[in-house]
Amino acid sequence: MSANLSRRGFLAAGGGLSLAAVLGLSGCGDSNSDSSSGDGAKDLKLLLPGAVPDGWAAVLEAVNKKLQADLGFSITPQFINWNNYGSQALLKFTAGEKFETALQARWLNMAQLVGSGSLVDVGPLVTGGKYPNLQKTLNDKLIELNKWSGKLWGIPQVNSAGRIHHFAIRQDLAEKYGITEITDYPTLEKFWYDVKQRDPRVTPIALSQNQSNLTCVPGPVAMFNAASWENANRIAQSFSGGSMPFFLAENAKETGSSDPVPFWELDGVVDALRTIRKYYQDGIINRDALNVDAATTKGLFTNGQTASAWATTDGLSSTTLLPGLQKAVKGAQLANVVPLKGGKSAKPNQTFQADNFTVLNAKGASNERAMQLEDWLSIKENHDLISYGVEGKDWKPVGADKFEQLSTYAFPGFALCWRTSLERRSALMTESEADWFSWAQDYDNFTVDTFASFIPDVNPVKREEAQISQAFTQYGNPLFFGAVDVDAGLDKLKKAVSSAGLDKLQTELAKQADEYLKTVK
Amino acid sequence: MRANSLVMESGSEPGTDDAVPPQRPADPPRTPAKRPRRRPPLGLVLLALPAIAFFVVFSYAPMAGLVVAFKDFSISDGVFGSPWSGLDNFRYFFSTGDAPRILANTLFLNTLFLGATLLTGITLAVMLNEIRVKLFKRAIQSVIFFPYFVSPIVISIILQVLLAGVGGSGGAANDLLHVFNLPQVEWYTQPGPWPWILTVVKIWQLGGYLSIIFLAAITAIPEEVYEAGMIDGASRTQMAFRITVPLLRPTAAVLLVLGIGRIFYGDFGTIYAIVGDNGTLFPTTDVIDTYVFRSLRQLGDFGSTAAVGLFQSVVGFVLVVLAVLVQRRYAKESSIL
Repeated sequence: MSANLSRRGFLAAGGGLSLAAVLGLSGCGDSNSDSSSGDGAKDLKLLLPGAVPDGWAAVLEAVNKKLQADLGFSITPQFINWNNYGSQALLKFTAGEKFETALQARWLNMAQLVGSGSLVDVGPLVTGGKYPNLQKTLNDKLIELNKWSGKLWGIPQVNSAGRIHHFAIRQDLAEKYGITEITDYPTLEKFWYDVKQRDPRVTPIALSQNQSNLTCVPGPVAMFNAASWENANRIAQSFSGGSMPFFLAENAKETGSSDPVPFWELDGVVDALRTIRKYYQDGIINRDALNVDAATTKGLFTNGQTASAWATTDGLSSTTLLPGLQKAVKGAQLANVVPLKGGKSAKPNQTFQADNFTVLNAKGASNERAMQLEDWLSIKENHDLISYGVEGKDWKPVGADKFEQLSTYAFPGFALCWRTSLERRSALMTESEADWFSWAQDYDNFTVDTFASFIPDVNPVKREEAQISQAFTQYGNPLFFGAVDVDAGLDKLKKAVSSAGLDKLQTELAKQADEYLKTVK
Repeated sequence: MRANSLVMESGSEPGTDDAVPPQRPADPPRTPAKRPRRRPPLGLVLLALPAIAFFVVFSYAPMAGLVVAFKDFSISDGVFGSPWSGLDNFRYFFSTGDAPRILANTLFLNTLFLGATLLTGITLAVMLNEIRVKLFKRAIQSVIFFPYFVSPIVISIILQVLLAGVGGSGGAANDLLHVFNLPQVEWYTQPGPWPWILTVVKIWQLGGYLSIIFLAAITAIPEEVYEAGMIDGASRTQMAFRITVPLLRPTAAVLLVLGIGRIFYGDFGTIYAIVGDNGTLFPTTDVIDTYVFRSLRQLGDFGSTAAVGLFQSVVGFVLVVLAVLVQRRYAKESSIL
C-alpha cells in the first residue's frame, strides 16, 4: 500500500464523506418508518418541561419497577428547561425523533403540529373502552369541548373544570391596613395603594414578561380590567397565543355572524390600559415587567418584596408560594382574591379548553404503549407515586385526599398525569384557595362560551399572523405593562398591525368563526 | 519565464556578423512538462481526517437543509418531501416594514462592536506591553481576560442591577444620577442609549480577549526593530505608535476580515440575553437574529427562518470576499488571502 494518497483520492474521500453525511442526515430528517402502532417499545421516551425534580432518580426507579411488573416496559422522561421547551420540542418533532409523548398546548406549537399531521387523534382511543382507568378520570364535557373539528389531539391535562386568573395576596398586610376580606376590585385597588403608602419598600404587585396577555384583555377576566371583574362574559379569540386578540359578537349564536372586532373596541379595555399606565407611574406595578421572568417575580413575592402575585384556580398557589414566604417573613399569611362581582355565583364564561395537553407523537415507537402508560397513571396509587414521589420519603397522606410534602420533590404533572379526580390537595392549602379551588372544579359554576371549542386554523394567514405577533411584542407588550403612553402606544400598535395584515386576519377569523357557528346547535 | 528569456538572449550573441536574425526556436509542445506528482503524505491526511469529518458533518452536510428556505416546510413531509414555495419565504422578511430598520440595526451595531473591540484590544495590548513588572502584567492580563468567560445571562443580571434595580425603579446608575441632582432615567424603556450600552458590554467582554491576541503578535516583533528605534532616539510613545501599531496591522486585518464575515450576524447571545422581548428597545437593538428567533419561537416557521439564515450567509460571504479584495488592493502586504 502506498504511503501517499493522490489529490484525486483525497478529494474523492472528502466527497464520499460529505455524501455519506448528507444521506445520513436526510435519512434522519425524512424517516417515515412508522412503528406507531407497534407494541414492541420497551422503554418509552417522554418530553417534559422544567428542571429534573429533586430526588427524581429514586422516584423513577420506583415507577419503572412497578411499570415493568405491571405492563412490561419502562419510561425515560427527558426534562427540557422551560425557556427552551417550545423550540426544542418542536425541533424534535421536526427531526422525526423517536419519543412517545410530549407536553403541547395552543400557546406552544400544537396548532402547527396538528396541521402537519405530527400528532395522533386520541379521541377514539380515549373513548373506545380500551383504557378504562383513563376514561374514568376524564369528564365527558372536558373531552367534548377540547376536540378540534371533532378530533382530540391530546389528553387534556386539567385539575379543575374552569380556570380563572386572579391574585394571591399578603393577607397579613391587608389585615394590618384594616381590610379583613377582599371581594371586589375597588377594595383590591385600595389594598395596593395602602401597600404603596404604608410599606413603601414593598411593591404592591409584580408582573413578569410572559403575563402581558393577562393584564387588560379579558379571557374572561383580566387582572387590571375592572369591567371584566364586573361582567366576566367575554373571552378573546386569537389565531395563536401572544398575537392579536379579537372579540366575537356577543349574539353570534342567534345571528350566525361572528363579526370579530379588534380587542381595543371592547368596552373597558382602553380604560384598563389607562389604569395600568397609572399603576406603572404610581409604582403599583413593577417597572421592569418587560424584562423579568416568572421565577424572579415569584422570588420577589416569597421574599416579601411584593404584596401580590398572579394566581389561577389550579390549587397550587399555597404550595408554591406559602412555604417560602413564611420562611422569609415571620407571620406572613396568604389569601386568594377573586374579585368577581357576585363572587362564586358569578358564572363566568369558560371554553373549558385545557391549557395543557399530553400529545402522542405520530412517529413514536409505540402509541399503544403510550396510551397504556396514560391509563396506568390514571390509577391512584401510580398517579400518587409519580406526582408526589415516594410515600414516607417525599410525602405522607393527610386524610383521603390531602398530602403533606416532606421533601422538595415537584413533578410537572400537568404535562403527563393531571386528573381532576385523583389530585390530592396540599395540607398547606389556605382556606380561601381551597374554597375557590373547589368552586373551580364544578362545571356548573361556569357558562359555556359560544365559541368554546372553536380553534381557528392559522395556516391560511400564517405570514400575517407571524408579522402581527412581532408587532405585538414590539408595541403591544409595552402598552399592556403600562411602560408607554396609552394614546401614542395604541396608535403605534394599530398602525403596525394594520400594515402587517390586520384586515386579512380579521376576515379569515370571521370566515372560520361563521363556519363554526353553523355547527353549534 | 525567466529561464526562457535567458535562452532567448543567448540565441543572438552580440558581435556576430550573421545578417539573418536567428530563428525563434519552435514553441515547445503545449503539454505540460512532466513534473513529479505531488501527493499529500498519507500520515498528514490521516491526522487531518477527524477535522475534515467534523467540518463535513457539522458544516457542509447541514447545508443540505438550506433547501428548506425554498420550501413550504411541513414537519410530517420532512425536509425533502415538503412542497417547493419559490421565494415566498424570503418575501416574509422583506415584506415587513421592519426589514430596513432591522438590517440597519444589524449593520450599525456590529460595525460599532467590531470597531470598538478592535480598537480597545490594540490599545490594551500596547499598554500591557509597556508594563515591565511581570507579575503585575500577568495579573492585569487575567483580570481583563476574565469577562470573556462571563455568560451573557449573568451580564444581563448585572446590567439590571446597575440600570434598574429591584422593581425597575432604581439601580446604581440612577442612584449616581441622583447624587448629582440629575433626573433619573428609565433605561429599559429608552431605546436611544442602548447601542452604546451594548457596545460598552462588548468592549468589557472582548477587549481583554483581543488584547491577548495582539499581545502575542507584539511578542513576534523582532527586538532589533525597537533597538533601531532607540538608536534613532525614539521615545517609548513614538515606538508604540510608529513601530508596534503598524506591525499589528496584519493581525488586525485578519480579525477585521473575520469580523466582517459575521457582520450580518447580530451577536444573538448578548443582545437577546440583555434585551429579551422588551419591545420598547427594539428600535435600536432588534437585529436579524433576534427577529428570526422570535418568529421561530412564536410560529415555528422553519421556512422563513431558513430563508433569512441563507440571506445572512450569502451577504456574509460577499462581504468577506469584498473585504479581502479591498485589502489586496490597498494593503497588499497585510492581506491574508
